[in-house]
This record gives sequence, C-alpha cells and structure tokens, in this order.
Amino acid sequence: MIDVAIKLGLAMVVFFGVLNLAGLHTWIERKQSAIIQDRIGANRASIFGFKLLGLFHPLADAVKMFTKEDIIPARGDKVLHTLAPAFSVFFALAAFAAIPFGDRLMLGGRVIELQVAKLDVALLYIFAMLSLGVYGVILAGFASRNNYALLGGLRATAQMISYEIALGIAIIGLILVYQTLDLQDLVRAQGKLLGGWIPLWGIVVQPVAFFVFVTAALAETKRIPFDLPEGESEIIGYFVEYSGMKFGMFFLTDFLETIMVACLAATLFFGGWQVPYLMPDGFHFPWGGSFAVSHWTYVLMGVASFSLKVLFFCWLFMQLRWTLPRFRYDQLMKLGWLGLFPVAVANVVVTASVLYWLGGRN
Amino acid sequence: MAVKVVRRRELTFWEKLYIPQILSGLKITSKHFFRNLLLHIAHRLGLLKHLRASVTYQYPEEPRPLMSRFRSRHRLTVRDEGTPRCVGCMLCETVCPAKCITILAGEHPDPNVEKYPVRFDIDLGVCVYCGYCVEVCPEDAIRMDSGILDVAAYSREEMKLDIHELMNPALRKPVGECNLPFPHQCRLTGGQIKGSWEEVASGRR
Amino acid sequence: MPALTIDGRRIDAPDGSTVIQAAEQAGIFIARYCYHPGLSIAGNCRICLVEVEKNPKLQIACNTPVMEGMVVHTNSGKAEDGRRAVLEFLLANHPLDCPVCDQSGECDLQNFYMNFGLYDPRFEEQKVKKKKAVAIGPHVMLDQERCILCSRCVRFTDEITKTGEFGIFNRGDKAELGLFPGQTLDNAYSANVIDICPVGALTEMDFRFKARVWYLSSAPSVCNGCAQGCNIDVHFVLNRPHLNDGARIMRLKPRYNPDVNQWWMCDEGRFGFGWIDRGRLTKVLHHGVQSAWDEAMAAIASSLPQLRLGVIASAQLTVEELFLIREVFHDAQITASVPEAPGSSDDFLIQADKNPNTLGAAWLGFAQRDIVHDALQGRIDALWVFGHDLAKLFGEETLQELSSKLRLFVYSGTNENPTSSSATWALPAAAYLEKEGTFVNCHGRIQRVRQAFPPLLDSREDWRLLLDLARQINRPRHYRNPQEIFLGLAATEVRFKNLNYEAIGTQGFPLHD
Repeated sequence: MIDVAIKLGLAMVVFFGVLNLAGLHTWIERKQSAIIQDRIGANRASIFGFKLLGLFHPLADAVKMFTKEDIIPARGDKVLHTLAPAFSVFFALAAFAAIPFGDRLMLGGRVIELQVAKLDVALLYIFAMLSLGVYGVILAGFASRNNYALLGGLRATAQMISYEIALGIAIIGLILVYQTLDLQDLVRAQGKLLGGWIPLWGIVVQPVAFFVFVTAALAETKRIPFDLPEGESEIIGYFVEYSGMKFGMFFLTDFLETIMVACLAATLFFGGWQVPYLMPDGFHFPWGGSFAVSHWTYVLMGVASFSLKVLFFCWLFMQLRWTLPRFRYDQLMKLGWLGLFPVAVANVVVTASVLYWLGGRN
Repeated sequence: MAVKVVRRRELTFWEKLYIPQILSGLKITSKHFFRNLLLHIAHRLGLLKHLRASVTYQYPEEPRPLMSRFRSRHRLTVRDEGTPRCVGCMLCETVCPAKCITILAGEHPDPNVEKYPVRFDIDLGVCVYCGYCVEVCPEDAIRMDSGILDVAAYSREEMKLDIHELMNPALRKPVGECNLPFPHQCRLTGGQIKGSWEEVASGRR
Repeated sequence: MPALTIDGRRIDAPDGSTVIQAAEQAGIFIARYCYHPGLSIAGNCRICLVEVEKNPKLQIACNTPVMEGMVVHTNSGKAEDGRRAVLEFLLANHPLDCPVCDQSGECDLQNFYMNFGLYDPRFEEQKVKKKKAVAIGPHVMLDQERCILCSRCVRFTDEITKTGEFGIFNRGDKAELGLFPGQTLDNAYSANVIDICPVGALTEMDFRFKARVWYLSSAPSVCNGCAQGCNIDVHFVLNRPHLNDGARIMRLKPRYNPDVNQWWMCDEGRFGFGWIDRGRLTKVLHHGVQSAWDEAMAAIASSLPQLRLGVIASAQLTVEELFLIREVFHDAQITASVPEAPGSSDDFLIQADKNPNTLGAAWLGFAQRDIVHDALQGRIDALWVFGHDLAKLFGEETLQELSSKLRLFVYSGTNENPTSSSATWALPAAAYLEKEGTFVNCHGRIQRVRQAFPPLLDSREDWRLLLDLARQINRPRHYRNPQEIFLGLAATEVRFKNLNYEAIGTQGFPLHD
C-alpha cells in the first residue's frame, strides 16, 4: 500500500516538475530569444499590476488555449484528430517514468529509488516511448484531411524514423561501455573516477556518441534547426488544422521532448544525478581531504545536480534553436543517413574493438 | 544583360564538420545573451543605466523619436488671430489620391486673404498618408508633423476629423464644444455655419 | 487674297486681315491677351509678338496686316524670347493669388507661362498694391492687382454694350482698371467681361469660391431663357456634393456661334439656372401625397379614355415632345400658348418672348386656344398642364376653381408651385439640361439641347412619360429616344424634312418657312 503511495508520490513529483518546466519553456523561449536578440521580450501580462518579468504570459497562454474554439475539420477523422495530440503528450510524458533523478533515498527503513519506474530496460523503454511519439504526428497529419498536414506528417515521420536509427546506434557504444540498460545502474557506473581524477561520465568515454546523440535527439524533438515538419510560419506542418488546447498539446509535446532529451543527455553523458567526488558518505577529493555530508544532503545534492544539468541542456538547446537556421529537407536526410548514421556505426565498431582489446582486464 | 556567374565557395573541411561552425554561432548568440542578461540584472540593481540592454522601444511608455520627414496625422497651421492659414484653394482636395479631403471655401473679410475654408474635413479612415496634400499646399497650411501616430477608433465616424481637430492637434474625440470664432462648418454645428468675423476681431483685441 | 507663309505654311488670307487672323485660319495659335475677335484691335498687350522676315523688330501679330509674300515665324528663337520677355513684364506686378483666384485653371497667364514662359522669376521688389475684391456690379468682382490692362473689358463696354463703364486710370505701374465715378457695372450683358478677361481680374460673384474650374464638367446646350436660343456650355459638378449645397450646375458660359450669339450672352440667361437645382418637384404626387410612377401612369391611363381632355403644352418643351403630344393626344384640345406678359427685350440678343421654342410649337400646328376658359365652362373635364404655373398666369382663384371642377388634373413640370400642389397628379419632369431635344429659335434656327446630366431623383423626361402613357392607352409609338422621335417628325413635317441630329450639329441649322 505504502509502496504504491510512494510510487504515486514520485510520479506526482516528476509530473509536476516536468509539466511546469514545459510550461515555463514558453516563457524561456520568449525571454531567451529576446535577450539574444537585444530585445526585452514578453513583459506585458500582469496580475494586479505585477508583471514578474512576464512570467504570467504562460498562464495567459494557457487560459487562451483552453478558451479558444476547438476546430475539427468537417471531413477529417474526428476520433483520430482528437486522439493524435493525446498520443503525443502521453508518450512524451510516459517516457519520464524511467528517468532517475536522484540516488536511492533511505527513509524509515525503506529504500526509495528516485525514479518512478525501476526498469531493467529503462533505456529501451524510453526509446520505445519516443518512437511511439511518431504516431501522434502521423495521425494528426492523416486525421486533418488536409494535404499540407498530411505532407507535414509524412515529413515528420520520415525525419523521426531516420534519426532514431542514428540515435539508437549512438547509444549502443554507451551500453557497451557500461554494460547495462538500467539507467539507475548506468548513472551509478558514471560515479567512478578515471585515474582518480576525472569522473567517468559518458561524455568522457563516448564523446563522439554524445554529439551524434544530441544532434539526432534534437531532430527527434522537431525543433529548429530540424523543424521541417512544423515550420509554423512558412511551410505549414502536421498540426495546421489544430486549434485551442489540442494545438497546445502538440506545443507542449515539443517542450516535453526537449526536456526529455535534456534529461537523457544529462543521464547518459553527464552522470545524471552524480556530483563529482561526492560519495554517499561525503566528498572524497582526489587531492586528499574529504568532507562528510548527511544522507539527506547527499540525496538532495544529487537531485539538484540532475536538475541543474537538465536546465543547462534546456538552455543549450534553446540557444541552438535561436542560433541556427533551418536545414533544407535533403540536407536533413543527408545529415541523418550519410553523416550521423555512419559515424554512429563507426563509433560502435571502434568502441567494441577497444573494449575487446582491453577485454583482458575484465 | 550581362550575366555574372558567382560560384558558391567550396566549404572547407572544418566547415563541413558543422560543429565548429555551430560553436562559433553559439559564441555570438551567447555573447549577446550573457551581456544582455547581466545588463538586465544590473539595471534591476540600478547599475550601468547608460548601457542599453535592448535596442527596442517600449512603445506607449517610451515613444520612438520620429524622423523630421515622418508623416504623422495632419494639422492645419493657424494665423495669429486664430484662423486657418489655409486659403481653400482645394489643391489638396484635388491631388488627394484617396479623395479623403473635403473643403468648402468661403469669403474672408480681408481682401488680401480673400478665401478661407469654411469646412475642412479629412477622413483618416480613407487617407493613405501619402503626404501629397502637404507637398501641393502653396500656403504651408497643411502639415503632417503633429507626431500623432495612434490614430485608431471603433467606428468609421470617429476617423473623420473636422476643422477643430485639424487646427488643434491636441484635441481628441469627443470634441466637447465648438470654440472657433470664425464662421465655419464642423461636426458640432451639424452643417450650420457658426461663428462670425466680429468674434475674431474682438478676440484679437 | 495675299499669300503669306506662317511657320513654313503657305496661307491665302483675305484682304485686310491681320497675321493673327491668318494664323488662326491655318490652325496656328498665337498667344494673345488684348486681341479678341469680337472687339476692336488695341495691340497693347504685346504677347502676340512674331518675327516677320526682312523686318528688324518683332511685330504684333494682332495688328500687322497680311501682305503678299510675307514670311512669319511664330516660334523662332527671337519670337520666343520676345514673348517670354513680355510675359515677364506682365507678371512683374501680378500677385501670387492663384490659390485663391477663381480664374486659376482657365487663366491665360498660367497657360502661357507654362507654354511659353517657364523662366526663373527675377523680380525682387515689392509688387504694387491696388484694390482687391471690389464688387463693381451685381455680378462682377474686380481685382485691380490681377489686371494686366489688356482693355478687353473697356472695349466690350464701349463697343458691344455701348455703356462705357470701364476705364483705365493713371499711368505706368500705377495704371489701374476701374469704373468711371458713379458708375456700376449693371448693364444687361455685364458678365461677358468675365469671359473675355484673360486673367482673374474680373471674376464672377455668383460662382465665387463655389468650385475650382478643374472640377467642372462641361456639356454644350442652348439657353432656354428666351426665343433667341443663345448657345451655351453648361458647367456642372456631380461628384462633389459638398460644393454649393449639392447643386449640380455651377455656371453657364456662352458658346461661340457666329449666327446666333457670337461670343456673348445676357446676364438674365447666364444666371437664370437656379430653378434646375432648387425647388424641384422630385417625387410623383397624388393630391400632394407622395406616390409612384407606375401608379400614376396606370391611374391616368385608365381614366383618360372616358374624359374630354384639354392639354396646355408649353413652348419650353422640345420639338420632339410637342410632336409626341400632338400624336398621343390627337383627339384632345391642345394649345401651347398661354397669356404671358412679354418680358424685357433689346435689339441685341434679348427677346421679349421668354420661351425657347415658340416657333417650333407654331410650326407643329399648336394653335391659340383658351383651354382654361373651356375647362371653366365645363367643355372639358380633364386637363394636362406641362410646366406652366396656372396660379401665376390666371390667378389663385381660377386655379382653385379649376381643380374643383376638373375630374382629372395632371401637372407635369420641373418645379414645385401652386399648380403642382393642387393637381390630381403632379409628375416630376426633367429640366431642359437633363434631356435631349431640339428648340427652334425666333429666327427659325433649329438647335440641339444635350443631356448634361441625368434627371434629378424621380423626375423623368416628358418624352419618356409620353411614350409610356401612349403605350398604356393603346396608342404605342415605337420610338426609343429623342433622336428617333425627331426622325419620325422629319418624316411627317415638311419643314424638318431630311433633317437629323447630325445635320443640326453643335451650331444648329437654319430652317425657313
């Protein structure tokens, strides 16, 4: 009973955090782009005269989305048209269940893993969820009965399927190194130190995989520079026939996926909740000296570390989004199939070879 | 026509790698981001006010300086005794491509002036702000230098300016009372001619 | 017939003519201010300077008689320089009044400056101040500053009206145009000085500031003010109703016709157009209550066959309409004449008969008949009046008696008057400027009036309503427009034989008994 309550509680925490962060992304997007472009950005929405740096704009957006007319194309597929955004959001959210956001917490004799679902195959699960996300997109394009929406959906599908291959293969190198699919184990494995000094994070052992992963993952999120499926202002995407909160859900999915990718990047390549030199009993610096911390402090520092890493990646992706122009579709496909895919395969081969060569030690 | 063929430059190896180029792009955007973020924070603390963090104007509170040749809402220039400088030659009415100017001319008591507009209306809902009326005016009587940009209304009727608002750009709708002394026709008089030249003369004294 | 060459063209000019006339005959225009073909030659403006070969100095074209073998250049460099210099002199003291001046747009100073001047002004001194906006008569406003002293007006009052009000006083740059002491410019032709004034010195009081001349549309017509039938141009504005309180006609101008009125027209005719835009009957009235054309025509057509009809037509109607009246009401008592007191007249243009088509009505066989008397005696019980106000002609009591005795009393006219309000049916008719047709003037000249603009509101041309009525009382006439009616008339009436609108043209066609 209490186990179920704990799981529900964890799920609530993750839900709360992720959804709020996604909501905030609309604000971050506006403000960050404004600051990059020497502007001020949204700052007009106010409650009782308080503007709070424009933080009320996401609220106003939400109110607007909920109160706008929900249009379903007369000759479209009404059921699928309604299901599509729900699919998108559902799969995007479901993936977060397998993300570990802290080390295990000892509370009243119980061991609580700070991860909603402790899965042996968490990585496969997440990738499965991300892959299923494509259904929301293609269904939206199909159900709208609009040529532009359908073409947008097809573009999105082709793009997501193409980049999933590179994405999956990029991760294989990492799995070969850490020999686990369980993300909690994978994060723990990154706590070791290389040569006593350098934390053995994914970025250290698999730098090439990191770049391939980040690129492919950005393509998965369908955001600039890979926003060909949507192209809001110019080429029209799969959600052209969506309005109100259904459109809002696609919008939310974008941000959820961005956060997902940030979480994955942090978890796979930047040690997840690891803090350099912090062991469960306290800091052990390589230059000697140590500093003990309580269990609670340790766990919270882990959570904070994870959160900071995720936020950094969110910032980085946003910065990229406002730095790069959009790819052309043929460039996009070329990059996926002739750029990332061979690099990812080569990375696996090299990693496997090196591991085999070093295999004597294991 | 001479054709000049411009060959697209071959990308170097480093450029083909993308990543260095992306990083240099990120360097630029990040430079702006951190500089402006720091300035915004500094401004909140009351520091470094002389450096602007944004190039934009916060419009209603912070109006943008207008160029001297900017064409804003029209105004009629006024003689010392409070009558319009316009002599009702109707050149602006004639040249107006939108046909938004309506003038009715009348007899001015001073034979050296002779003519003046009894009625002078501009329908801003029709006006295209081309400035031809200003160009064509031989008397410098109509100008577009009032600096008024926020011409907006809820009805077409409100977009129509009469001689009151044109002679006094500070007036905003609804114009309360008809206070022009010389005989004229305006919205407030409902087509009747109101005012007299004796009033103008007594006002001058 | 001396032969001369102007601008390389050989011209055979009549004996005694001048270079400007010879040039005009050949279609070469020479600038002029003081020269007017209707007036004596003054030769004082000097703008018509031309170069005559073998002559060291430029000559004025208006006063140089043609000679055999003369070679004239109107556009040689020397002639152009001379003309430009003259223009510069004329403009030296001319005020920059163009924005307020009613002449601008039809001003010869403006036109010739644009055609021949285009110099940079060099005059830096103060311009001479003179009197402005002086009302010198009931119709004419004088601005002495604008005057270039061409003396056309002086010669007009000396030679045409022989009233001699104008004079040029003082000398040099103080010279100014004015009236002799105690005079006012109030002769019957005074407004012609406005037409002949090449600049804005003499302007019209009635037209003053009403519109700019470039707003005006123009249509050729014939004045309906008297039996003379002076040719006119109607100047009107349709698309700027804020001008002149929505009135369409702005002014009338005489149109040159050497056989009728030459360049002139009388003030009475020129300013007698007010009724066309004011006080018009614009709706069909049934006993003074607004009705509609269909109802009116149906009601009149149904009751007419049972009634003994008398028709008082009018010499204000066109020949075509009178012809239709004769055709449609062939079994009725018809007359076109009413006892009208003769108006003023003179030996120049003004005729005592104030109807434009009296001769036309007479030629169509409209006889003298006292139909009002017949009606009062009960010999007829339906009366149709075209245009006349019976109250003015026979008195208010007669009108009341008529309307009480008659079983059907139809008034078809342009304006509201006591007759229109006491008629059973008052039908709004189009004014003469709103319809096509012809008038025969007192000298037997048939002249066309043109439709300048469509009839006001509900009013209809009389020929249209007559054709409509003819159809409804089963006497259809298969005409569709005045031109076809006229052809029908020409086929039946000997006097109009072989005539058509093209033959009449803009200058009219003389008919004789």
